[in-house]
Amino acid sequence: MNFSVIKTLVAKDFRLFSRNRFYALITFIALIFYMLIYFLMPPSVDETLEVGLYAPVVPPSFQLIHAVEGFGFIEFESEESLRLAVNEGEYYSGISLPADIMEKFEAGEKPQVKLYFSAAAAAEIKDTIEIMIRELSYQETGQSLAVDVSYDILGPDLIGEQIPPRDRMRLMLVIALIVFEMMGLASLIVEEVEQGTIRALLVTPMSVRDLFAAKLIMGTGLAFVQGLLFMTIVGGLNSQPLLVVTTLFLGSILFTGSGFFIASASSDMMSSMGWGIIAILVYTIPAFGIMFPGTVTGWVRFIPSYYIAETIHKASNFNSGWGDNWSNLLILLGFIALILSGGIMVLRRKFR
Amino acid sequence: MAENVIVAEDLTCQFGDLVAVDHINFNVTKGKILGFLGPNGAGKTTTVKMLTGQLKPKSGKALLLGMDVAKNIEKVQSKIGVCFEETNLYQKMSALENLSLFAKLFGVRGFDAYTLLKRVGLEGREKDRVENYSKGMKQRLMVARSLVSSPEILFLDEPTSGLDPTSSEAIRNIILEERQRGATIFLTTHDMLEADKLSDYVAFMNQGKIVALDTPDNLKQKYGKRALKARVSNASGRLQNREIALDTPKTAEAIHSLFEKERVLTIHSEEATLEDIFIKITGRGLAE
Repeated sequence: MNFSVIKTLVAKDFRLFSRNRFYALITFIALIFYMLIYFLMPPSVDETLEVGLYAPVVPPSFQLIHAVEGFGFIEFESEESLRLAVNEGEYYSGISLPADIMEKFEAGEKPQVKLYFSAAAAAEIKDTIEIMIRELSYQETGQSLAVDVSYDILGPDLIGEQIPPRDRMRLMLVIALIVFEMMGLASLIVEEVEQGTIRALLVTPMSVRDLFAAKLIMGTGLAFVQGLLFMTIVGGLNSQPLLVVTTLFLGSILFTGSGFFIASASSDMMSSMGWGIIAILVYTIPAFGIMFPGTVTGWVRFIPSYYIAETIHKASNFNSGWGDNWSNLLILLGFIALILSGGIMVLRRKFR
Repeated sequence: MAENVIVAEDLTCQFGDLVAVDHINFNVTKGKILGFLGPNGAGKTTTVKMLTGQLKPKSGKALLLGMDVAKNIEKVQSKIGVCFEETNLYQKMSALENLSLFAKLFGVRGFDAYTLLKRVGLEGREKDRVENYSKGMKQRLMVARSLVSSPEILFLDEPTSGLDPTSSEAIRNIILEERQRGATIFLTTHDMLEADKLSDYVAFMNQGKIVALDTPDNLKQKYGKRALKARVSNASGRLQNREIALDTPKTAEAIHSLFEKERVLTIHSEEATLEDIFIKITGRGLAE
């Protein structure tokens, strides 16, 4: 490889990108706009907690439950529907009182009260609800430890690690920001083919390897620098910064490879935008699923960007380290090898 | 013996069932201009693509400066300059930036873009974006770009197509200067007069084959009809044309008879043009 040639080509591409008013302006506006969105969103979670309640029989003292400050109780008609609602993330927690609660109190036995918690429920919620149930039971019987309380964590146990909505959205914003550059790169390449400048380049001593290396550096660099800048400003690098930066970098390479595919499938600027928008929609689905839990299912794992979204989400929001994410990175590397080599192959054919 | 700088040996290119270039053979010696003529679709551009390493031949060889193009693409490309028929400049960059970019890609040290731009008549507009140039200016810049590395071989594809006479003349002068410098030039053109004026040799290409290759003078001698054309006024005062074939045993007698019997108003010799010869050889015109 000729590094001097690659440097020249990258400088040329950057100059052309900055002179393309549409992409240069969109890039700048998107960066500012996404940061604004992030900072305008509430920095903390809502403190009024809605709790699901299944109570076939309500002991007299338990009537007070609705007066407990900071809680909103939503009644369910069956334990199964309560369990389902908590499992799907509609509520952080649910209380299920047994049908024989009064009989047990009267017999001096401990009724079995079941508490359900979603994976994202805070440890404080669990403790508070358990204390509240014990307190109400004490008022009913005049004895301490009048009930046995058991609880289930539905899904992975992330109790104590709930995050504000804007930190969930941060992932969506950063992926949208870097994936957009895939379209910018594809347009640059399509413009070169359309205007025939690629032919002029291909009769110089520059090799095709140098050309692809330059495009890869340009596309990856453009996406990565923006992603890095955004994550730094919005605090996305506060935990596991190296892992987040590495994932961002790998993600930028993946989107550059995808940009090669888009460029090879496009005949002009408009078609590159059309294909680009489709790719952007697909690539942002995993981040959307993280922002709105329960909206996507297992098939999302077939989208390569899932492994970027999942890793950045866990690392930046839950301080999850390399040990927890190595498999994601490995799969991501596999996708990169596949998409990048495929993209180079099809685009090379177009240059001929 | 003169050095063969461009050699095509049985060069063939096929796209599916279509044989675009069919076993062509020719060579061009150092410092000469080869005019490569033929109608659209004759295989000229495909030939240029194979010679410049843009396309691999299906069979045969293209040798430039003694190197097999297919095996030494980068080495060969460092010695050549190519001016394309279609304008393929970076429109959002200035002339200066366009030339500097290519000078860097060719690894030219101490490149003086201003002098080259002055040579093609673009002084004073060096820093303007190419998108603001006229067609003639763009074409001159294309020629300048092909010269940034002072190439040993220059491929020019329709360099004066669609230009005004002044711009065309400027480009022709540059071509002649390059030959003077020692460059070997492969000139593809539709313009028969241009080919006649500039070329040391011309090759006629038709349906993928070279149907004639020689100096313009030899082709004219071989295929052309030399004649005298006269405009005369006869006894009744009517104007008529007379044609006397040259190079025949009766030519002198016919000329004598013409001047003796008729009033000659104008007389001039007529040579066959390259276009006439092309039609004679292929049965079709260059514009077809």
